[in-house]
Amino acid sequence: MSELILFYFLAAATIAAAVGVVMNENPLLCALHLVLSMLGVAGLFFLLQAPFVGAVQIMVYAGAVMVLFVLVLMLIDTNKEGEKFSGGNISALTKGLAVGILSGLMTSIILRTPQPTKNITAQEAFDVIDIAKLLFTKYALAFELLGILLLVIPVGVVALSRIRGGTHDR
Amino acid sequence: MGADIFEVSVNIIKMLLIFLMMVQLVPILVWVERRGSAFIQNRFGPNRVGPLGLMQLLADAVKFLFKEEFVPPKSHALLYYAAPVLALIPGAIAFGGIPLSMPIHIQPFEMFGSQWGPYTFQFQSYNLGIGILFILAISSLGAYALLLAGWGSNNKYSLFGALRASAQMISYELAMGLSLVGMLMLYRSLDFQDMIDLQRGPLHFMFFGKEVLIPILPNWGIFYQPLGFLLFATAAFAETNRLPFDLPEAEGELVAGYHTEYGGLKMLMFYIGEYGHMMVASAVMVTFYFGGYDLPFQLSETLVSAVRGAFSSVNLGTVMAALALHVVFLIKILFFLWVFIWVRWTLPRFRYDQLMDLGWKKMLPWALANVLVTAYFVLMAGSAG
Repeated sequence: MSELILFYFLAAATIAAAVGVVMNENPLLCALHLVLSMLGVAGLFFLLQAPFVGAVQIMVYAGAVMVLFVLVLMLIDTNKEGEKFSGGNISALTKGLAVGILSGLMTSIILRTPQPTKNITAQEAFDVIDIAKLLFTKYALAFELLGILLLVIPVGVVALSRIRGGTHDR
Repeated sequence: MGADIFEVSVNIIKMLLIFLMMVQLVPILVWVERRGSAFIQNRFGPNRVGPLGLMQLLADAVKFLFKEEFVPPKSHALLYYAAPVLALIPGAIAFGGIPLSMPIHIQPFEMFGSQWGPYTFQFQSYNLGIGILFILAISSLGAYALLLAGWGSNNKYSLFGALRASAQMISYELAMGLSLVGMLMLYRSLDFQDMIDLQRGPLHFMFFGKEVLIPILPNWGIFYQPLGFLLFATAAFAETNRLPFDLPEAEGELVAGYHTEYGGLKMLMFYIGEYGHMMVASAVMVTFYFGGYDLPFQLSETLVSAVRGAFSSVNLGTVMAALALHVVFLIKILFFLWVFIWVRWTLPRFRYDQLMDLGWKKMLPWALANVLVTAYFVLMAGSAG
């Protein structure tokens, strides 16, 4: 019973925050709503007896990625850029299209997913060592490739900032 | 939460008490900080109000409560008000996840005319089973409070402080996480309780098939990973924005950094958040490297049986024994909190480029090397403990 209440509360909060991301005019507030929405998703993971995924969700997305987003957005003059950021019919059309496509995708995925045949208990669902074994054996290649992809980004940023001058100019 | 009403209510009261203990430690730490800084700088410090100046805490609290409420014009009101609250939350949640004493096993007893079954209460607010991972995740959210405070108060010094704070926290989070990985490989667990259990007894480990036993040293993590401890402690100073890494509030350059525009109770909440992060960092250090609430050389077993023997009721004795071990843990934490204060009034502040160099070019490679060497020894020389 308490799990059901928590689930509906978290789900409602996550969706409300996600709506806030799209509806806000100030890009900084959008990013902060996204953080809230991610925390809500992490809470849902905890509720699903997957604390490892939940903690990683908080650590990676809310704790690192979004902090960088917010950091950059703070340097933007939100009064001027706000107009460019959200406004106009084309922007609204794009938003509407994006929402339609995404919700269609989600609905079809949910409908095509087979129903789980048994209830998974906490002991079965959570094991960090199992996740680690899978990551370093079965999915080792994908894991390493993702690492390289992430490495390319900082290298590219440093290279670009050297071309344009600034503190890293040589 | 619990099976019946007794277990549920005890768990809720326990959560509340742990939170209140954390908040109540803050004024004492402020007093220690002020008197300690005075001691280090050969001054007197606040010594007029009450014995040893201890009543100064009450005077400060009254002052904080009755200060004029001021919101800077053109600030973003919601973010300006939200930031101090957000500063308090991550530290408070993270502190609840650390076991502060041994689990309490309660025998069946009779109360209000009915039988209450055997219970096991853990001396922590919650236990997710992933211990340190959740603490690191929640602590990383502390950056938002500083960012929002800096941006929300519409002040250039605040904004500079916020930008510095978030860049610094992100940079040192990497080294902080990596410095703990070596220890996690040795413990083979993320759970604090397992770590404390593994650190019992004298120093003993397998080294290339031979068992090494050093009876004069306890089996603490610090003897396995001294470099890891050094890196973690340094990163903890940077994560809590304490000197020598307090660039977000560098007085000489930024007035007061991210909390320039805050006063009264809102300012106090930033303080509580900072001290909360310090307490979490100290508690993690104690649990990872200094045996948690356990005393070396069988002393904790002696203490537990002595306290148990002093009470006629078994349950009361168990609770009192857990409280005695909790005092041991508190003393260990207070030592590291004193180290935080000691360092603050001893070392000068880093320059910003020095800070980034230290984080990325020195601590990160050393932490990676520590992981590699530990992995080699765990695989080749046999596991520890």
